[in-house]
Amino acid sequence: MSFLKNFFSREVLIYSKKSSNVISPVIFFLICITFFPLAVSNDPNELSKLAPGLIWICILLAGMLSIQTIFKEDYDDGSLDLFYVRGFSMLQVVLVKIFVNWIFTALPLIFLSCFMVFLLYFPLDKLFNLIGSLFVGTLIISFFGALAGALSLGKNSILGSAIMLPLSLPVLILGSSASTYSNENIAFFILLLSALLFFLVPIISLACIGAIRLHYE
Amino acid sequence: MNKLLDAIKVFYHKLGSYPWFYSISSKLLPIASILAFLFFVIGIIWGIFYSPSDAIQGDIYRIIYMHVPAASVAQSIYFALAIAGFVYVVWKMKMAGLFIKAMAPIGASFTLLALVSGAIWGQPTWGTWWVWDARLTSTLVLLLFYLAIIGLYSSFDNKKSADQAVSILAMVGAINLPIIKKSVDWWNTLHQPSSIRVFEESTISSEMLFPLLVCILAFYLIVFVFGLMAMRAEIATREMNKDWFKKIIINND
Repeated sequence: MSFLKNFFSREVLIYSKKSSNVISPVIFFLICITFFPLAVSNDPNELSKLAPGLIWICILLAGMLSIQTIFKEDYDDGSLDLFYVRGFSMLQVVLVKIFVNWIFTALPLIFLSCFMVFLLYFPLDKLFNLIGSLFVGTLIISFFGALAGALSLGKNSILGSAIMLPLSLPVLILGSSASTYSNENIAFFILLLSALLFFLVPIISLACIGAIRLHYE
Repeated sequence: MNKLLDAIKVFYHKLGSYPWFYSISSKLLPIASILAFLFFVIGIIWGIFYSPSDAIQGDIYRIIYMHVPAASVAQSIYFALAIAGFVYVVWKMKMAGLFIKAMAPIGASFTLLALVSGAIWGQPTWGTWWVWDARLTSTLVLLLFYLAIIGLYSSFDNKKSADQAVSILAMVGAINLPIIKKSVDWWNTLHQPSSIRVFEESTISSEMLFPLLVCILAFYLIVFVFGLMAMRAEIATREMNKDWFKKIIINND
C-alpha cells in the first residue's frame, strides 16, 4: 500500500514539475480545433453538426501524443528496470501511471471541450452527453495508448500511433455517437462505453505488463 | 483417452521443433500445391464459364468467386494469428511466433484483395467504388490491424521480443475486433438507416454455391501453401547457421 501511495505522489510530482506534459496536449488540442473551421467551413450550422466528431478526433490525437510516452522516460533513465528488478507490482505501476497521466492530460482537455459550445457552436443541450462520454472514453483511450507505448518502447512514435488508433476505433464511434444523438440514447452509449472500460482494463493492463516485460528479456 | 492426449502432446512438441516442421512441410508442400492449383482452376473455370449468370447483376457477379473467398480467408487468418499469439504468450512455443510473422503479410494481402475486388464489384453494381458500410469498414480496420502487426514486427531487431510483442498485439486486436465490428454496425444503422443494403443476402442458388465453395476451399489451400512457404523461408532465415539446416542444404545439392 505504501508503495502505491509513494508511487502515486512521485508521478504527481513529476507531472506537476514538468508543466510541458500538461500544456502541450492542450495547445495541440486548441490548434487542431482551430484548424477545422478554417479548413472545412465557418458556417455555424455545419460546425455544430460536425462538432462532436471534431472534438473526439482532436482529443484522441492529443491524447495519443501524450499517453504514448508514459513509459518512455522511466525506460530511458532506467527506473522502469529498477521497478521490474526490485519486484514491485508492475500492475500497480502501470495503473498508477495511466491514471495520473489521465488526470493531468485528459481532464484539462475535457474541461476545455466545454468551451466548444462557443467555438464550434456545439449544441448546449448535448454538452452533458459529450462530457459524460469523454470521461469514460478518454480512460479507455489512455489504456490503449499505454499498451501501444509499452509495445513500441524505444521505437519511433509513428508505430505507436499505428497500433493505438485502430484499437481506439470503437471508443471513437461510441463516443461521438453518444454526443450526436438525442438524450434518450445517451444512457445506452455511456453504459456501453463503461462496459467496454471494465471489460478492457484488466486485459489491457495485463497486456501492458507483458509488453514492458518483453523489453527486459 | 489418455493415449489420445499423449498423442496430441507429442504432436504439439513436434510442432514446436523447426527441423521436424521443415522436413514434414517439404513433404506436404508438393501435394498441397497440386491440390490448391487443381481446386483453384476447377473453381474459377466452373464459376466463370459454367455457372449461370445472375438475373439482376448479369455476369459482373462472377467476381464473387474471388471476393468472397478472399474475405473469408482474410478473417480466418486473423483468427489464427490470435490463437497463435495466445499459444506463444502462454507456452512460449517459438513456432507460434514464427507463424504470426509468416502469416501476417499473407493475411494483409488477402484483405487487400477482398477490398479491391469488392470495390471493382461495387463500381458497376452500386455505382460507387466505396461505401462506408459496416462490413467494408470493418474489413478496412482488419487491414489496419495487419499492417500494425507487420510494422511492429519489423521494428524489433531481436526476433524473440518481436514474436512476443506481435503476439500480444494479435491477441488484443482479436479481442477488440468483435467490439469494433459491433460498434461499426451500430454506427452504420444509426447513421444511415435507409442506405443501400450492400449485401442483400439473396438465397444463392446451388449452381452458384458449389463453384463458390470450391473456390473457398481453393483459397484456403492456397493460403496453406503460401503459409508453409513463408514459414519455411522464415525458418531458413532464423536457423541459417544451425547444423541441421546446413545438413539439409548440403544433402539437397
